[in-house]
Amino acid sequence: MRTPISLLQSFGHSRRAAGLRPSPGLRLAAHRGLVAIPVLFGVTLLTFFVLDLLPGSAARQLLGADATPEQVAALEVRLGLNRPARERYLHWLTGAVTGDLGKSIASNQPVTALVAERLPVTVELVALAFALSLALSVPAALFAAHRPNRLVDRLTMLLSMGGLSMPSYVLAPVLVLIFSVNLTLFPSIGFKPPSAGVLENLHSLVLPTVAIALPLLCFYTRFLRGDVVEQMNGEDYVVTAVAKGIGPWRVLVRHALRNSLFGLLTLVGLNFGALIGGTVIVERIFALPGLGQLLLQAINTRDAPIVQAIVLLLAVVTVLANLCVDLLYAALDPRIRYGDR
Amino acid sequence: MAIDSTAETLKLATLPAPSRPRRHPLRWACSADIAVPLAMLSIILAGLLLPALYAMPEPVGGNILDADQPLLSPGHLLGTDANGNDILSRLLHGGRTSLLIAITVNLFGLLAGGSLGAMSAYLGGVADTIIMRVLDVLIAFPSLILVLAIARALEPGALDTIWALTFFSVPAFARIARAATLRLREQPFMVAAGLSGTGTWRVLARHIAPNIFPQLATFGLLGIGIAINIEGAVSFLGLGIPLPQPSWGNMIYQGQMTLSARPSLVLLPGMLLFVTVLSFNLLSEALRARWARQ
Repeated sequence: MRTPISLLQSFGHSRRAAGLRPSPGLRLAAHRGLVAIPVLFGVTLLTFFVLDLLPGSAARQLLGADATPEQVAALEVRLGLNRPARERYLHWLTGAVTGDLGKSIASNQPVTALVAERLPVTVELVALAFALSLALSVPAALFAAHRPNRLVDRLTMLLSMGGLSMPSYVLAPVLVLIFSVNLTLFPSIGFKPPSAGVLENLHSLVLPTVAIALPLLCFYTRFLRGDVVEQMNGEDYVVTAVAKGIGPWRVLVRHALRNSLFGLLTLVGLNFGALIGGTVIVERIFALPGLGQLLLQAINTRDAPIVQAIVLLLAVVTVLANLCVDLLYAALDPRIRYGDR
Repeated sequence: MAIDSTAETLKLATLPAPSRPRRHPLRWACSADIAVPLAMLSIILAGLLLPALYAMPEPVGGNILDADQPLLSPGHLLGTDANGNDILSRLLHGGRTSLLIAITVNLFGLLAGGSLGAMSAYLGGVADTIIMRVLDVLIAFPSLILVLAIARALEPGALDTIWALTFFSVPAFARIARAATLRLREQPFMVAAGLSGTGTWRVLARHIAPNIFPQLATFGLLGIGIAINIEGAVSFLGLGIPLPQPSWGNMIYQGQMTLSARPSLVLLPGMLLFVTVLSFNLLSEALRARWARQ
């Protein structure tokens, strides 16, 4: 099977010279990439003007409640906040295109440095949560789909619906209560960097990971189970496989699951950006020095450049994740690769 | 939570168009998958209406001398919090606020987003492209961040929380309405309506609206659960319903500070929120399964 990289290489001159059109999967990905540009632009525009239109100012936040209007105005001039919004946005945009996201209003540090400092914690948390939820949801979905509407299936569906209905700010305190107050197995707050030892690091992230992973796990399980059951019920290739005498588990895993993984991939791609944003609450509860905490701080001090940078980052990650999914589709599905449409 | 909404939208958008429900409302509601969540919701709603019928301690302005009473103390069935406020009363009042916000947000989203999506799909052309691109931006936007930023800037309060939450509900409804309308456009009765010269607005109101309503309403139930969750999150972060006014989210936040000493302060609002959201989700799921079967 060819990797996306080799696919990209084959998108070069030889194919075009031979009169072959690039595969629809690649064209789709390229199209998505182009469409993403105005979306990204729109996201930054919206963030900027929403933050700008809302009442209250960063200068007032910095100076505190007893500052005189003159002091606030003077600080606004110094920070350049008195210039028209359009001008500031264009200034920001030209900077952003060249990779300069400006300086934090509150601390005057470069935004990229602040974000880069916090990013690893959040990325580790999200990666662990994804790994955990995907590793558990596939077997759970298969056991449920093995015999639809029987006891195991019903139970899995009910439990997963329960998990989906449990927001992280309810789940996290419950986890803390059970595992750190009563059983004292895991710490309730605090983060150990990987430099303090990988095990220490993982140990401090167990509860936050579970709090983020549980809703994801339930969601993926439900989705995958539904899709696999649908495949098993009507698809010709399943009928063929069964008729050939392949055992039910093998049909499930080797045939139905392989097809259903496509849908799951799409979901994972869609979830990515939202999930990083969703760590705000968990990071706050467990006092993790991640992106979510930075964002919350920035929102509270009306530090627009930081909010702007984080929103842009999340949007870019979402777009890239979707792009990767498109390319993976092409790599996994010969019909897309060879343009059978 | 927010992560689910896009994917649920996706899921609903791929369903076949539902036909009208059968005409026996009682028999229709009598299977367990619908009756159980409906019953749970009725109990919760009845409970939330209780303060209107029975004299109950006020949810705010309690006497500090009554602070931290345990469960089942006289006059305070579920005890009091650190400020001496009756917990049962706060739970019920807070729930009423959460539910009112969630229902308003979704009604507005259903009406505004639904008509936007249906019009966008039916009229097509440039209007459709523009509306969908704007919605794309809104959907690509991490909704929680937008809600937090708006909630932070506006004075904390119920109305502003509704306003902030609307930003995520309208695009979701519009997506579903659009997908459903696009499918309807191919149906014979729509072609017939077009051929017989039915006006655009009449088609939208009399043919499209009743046909996409079940799907929108099904998503609305799910949306109520999502809105309760997000409202709770915003209040939990101190940007939603301002203390001392109760909401489930800010009660959990308050209780979390004394988690090991008095877990019930977190567990009671947490359980209530969980059961309410679960009921809405189960109901929505049961309805969806029913539409899919028909």
